[in-house]
Amino acid sequence: MKCLVVDDESLARERLSRMLDQLEDCEVCGEATDGRQALARVQALAPELVLLDIRMPGMDGLEAARHLLKLDNPPAVVFTTAYGDHALEAFEAQAIDYLLKPIHPERLQQALDKARRLNHAQLENLAHESGVRSHLCARNRGNLELVPVEEIVYLQADQKYVTVRSASQKILVEDALKALEQEFGDRFIRIHRNALVAVRSIRALEKDSQGRGRVVLEGVEERLEVSRRLLPDVRRHIRNST
Amino acid sequence: MPVYLKVLITLADIIVLPVFGRVTGPRIAVMTRTSRQNPSELSQDSLFLPSFCDIRLVFAVVVIAELLAFVLVLANGRADPWNDLGLVSLFMQWIALSSAAALCLARPLLLKISNTAAVLASYLLLLLVTVLVSELAWSMGGLEQGSGAPGHIEFLFRNTAISAIVSGLVLRYLFVQHQWRQQIQAESQARVQALQARIRPHFLFNSMNSIAALTGSDPQRAELAVQDLSDLFRVTLRNASERIPLDEEIEVAKRYLRMEGLRLGERLQVQWDIERLPRKRLVPSLILQPLLENAVYHGIEALPQGGRIVIHGAAEGRRVSITVRNPRAPQGLASHRRGNHIALENIRLRLQLAFGNQAGVALREVDDEFETTLYFPREKAI
Repeated sequence: MKCLVVDDESLARERLSRMLDQLEDCEVCGEATDGRQALARVQALAPELVLLDIRMPGMDGLEAARHLLKLDNPPAVVFTTAYGDHALEAFEAQAIDYLLKPIHPERLQQALDKARRLNHAQLENLAHESGVRSHLCARNRGNLELVPVEEIVYLQADQKYVTVRSASQKILVEDALKALEQEFGDRFIRIHRNALVAVRSIRALEKDSQGRGRVVLEGVEERLEVSRRLLPDVRRHIRNST
Repeated sequence: MPVYLKVLITLADIIVLPVFGRVTGPRIAVMTRTSRQNPSELSQDSLFLPSFCDIRLVFAVVVIAELLAFVLVLANGRADPWNDLGLVSLFMQWIALSSAAALCLARPLLLKISNTAAVLASYLLLLLVTVLVSELAWSMGGLEQGSGAPGHIEFLFRNTAISAIVSGLVLRYLFVQHQWRQQIQAESQARVQALQARIRPHFLFNSMNSIAALTGSDPQRAELAVQDLSDLFRVTLRNASERIPLDEEIEVAKRYLRMEGLRLGERLQVQWDIERLPRKRLVPSLILQPLLENAVYHGIEALPQGGRIVIHGAAEGRRVSITVRNPRAPQGLASHRRGNHIALENIRLRLQLAFGNQAGVALREVDDEFETTLYFPREKAI
């Protein structure tokens, strides 16, 4: 079984890799130091199992697991953690396996024996434990594309998808605009029934030839329409932030 | 008459309470000091009676006796109360001062018996004093000339009854006050224990994991790590109110950072700038280490590229301050912040229990850095 070891601490990776190598049917195909790197390695190396540390800087283990599910053939996941992360109770409830560090060899063997893919339901139920995501993720021709939330300029709903736009990227995600607004509410402001814009990206408010309000955004060419109803809100927000 | 009484009782409260308070003040301090050295001795000096050998308490007794004399004279309802006042006052003061003297002399004996027995013994003692002084006053004569002159037995009985009531009230007051004081003391003791700083379990298990890894690859470093970790945990097991020299606290902090360095490698950089600190100053233990733990947990560990922790010590005027500066994790990890404030509040309370209001913790966010400063007065070095 091909395994990927993900942990931000080199000693922790070293020990886990050594233990896995000692097991018969196991081969460590790679290591990663955070969630983002883990996603890249999973796509490049196609491991069958990912041992994922929960607490990592940048993108943590729980978020990485959520994004992994977007893959056609996601690997099985076993979480590792040093101590009572508050998420553990939820793990138990969702029958998601985890290993406590320092990991016992027998416990590791058990976990590998019954390792299996996570499913959406399990992770949805964990969503409130893992908190706010650091990235939004979409699949594009089999590959995962990630946009860091702090780089997003606006989110625009269109039929089934939401367009996620940053200065350099544009991806389509399946999340509902309303859910995104709830998750990242303090970062974005709603300017229209179908659009949220990043507060820090708003440059100016202008009127088009028909007298409708539009926002000028930093880093992108397009201007987004502000609905009449929300115009006072947006104006107040701009005034407060300057 | 009831108006007079009310005024007198209020007066008694105003005059007597502060005196009792002052008398008992230093006693609490002494008790805390002994209990700090040896908690098992806590109950040793816990007689419910304050020391009646204390001149301030004797003064309080005089005041109470005089007030009681007023009450008696006013209650008598004679046409010319001022005439009686002198005689009654004299008599009351006799009884009061003799009682105080008796309690003062009996104190070593009362200390040896239980509080319940001491209450009973001092009550009987007070009654005995009343009877004796009354008897003495009777035998000196001059009392029977008063109008409606009471007989010998009636005189004794009346005085004993008054004494029984007043002594009962006073002893009851002292007993309740004593219990209340003990409770306050027990509570503050419990608070110090509860506030005793603890190192996060998160740190323990991560360190154990690092050591487990090192035993395979670098046994020598593993050995050092075990030593550092043991020393750190010994500190957490210390008596909560024990003080250590600042030097020692800094050593603990350095060991802690060495452990974290093992785990975080290049990501953790540390800069010490503490030459100006008074190294011998006694401080509660684990006041600096939790700040560093916060800096690691909320700052360095949450940043993929890590960062630098700067520890800056200053001694300006009469104030010593230690500042810990660390890079701030990006927003979105804000959920971890709550724990941070609990730890800081804990340190602030412990510093204030140790040094009073001149000590505390301040925090500041500057750009993308987080800065925590603890400060306390400079004096009392050993």
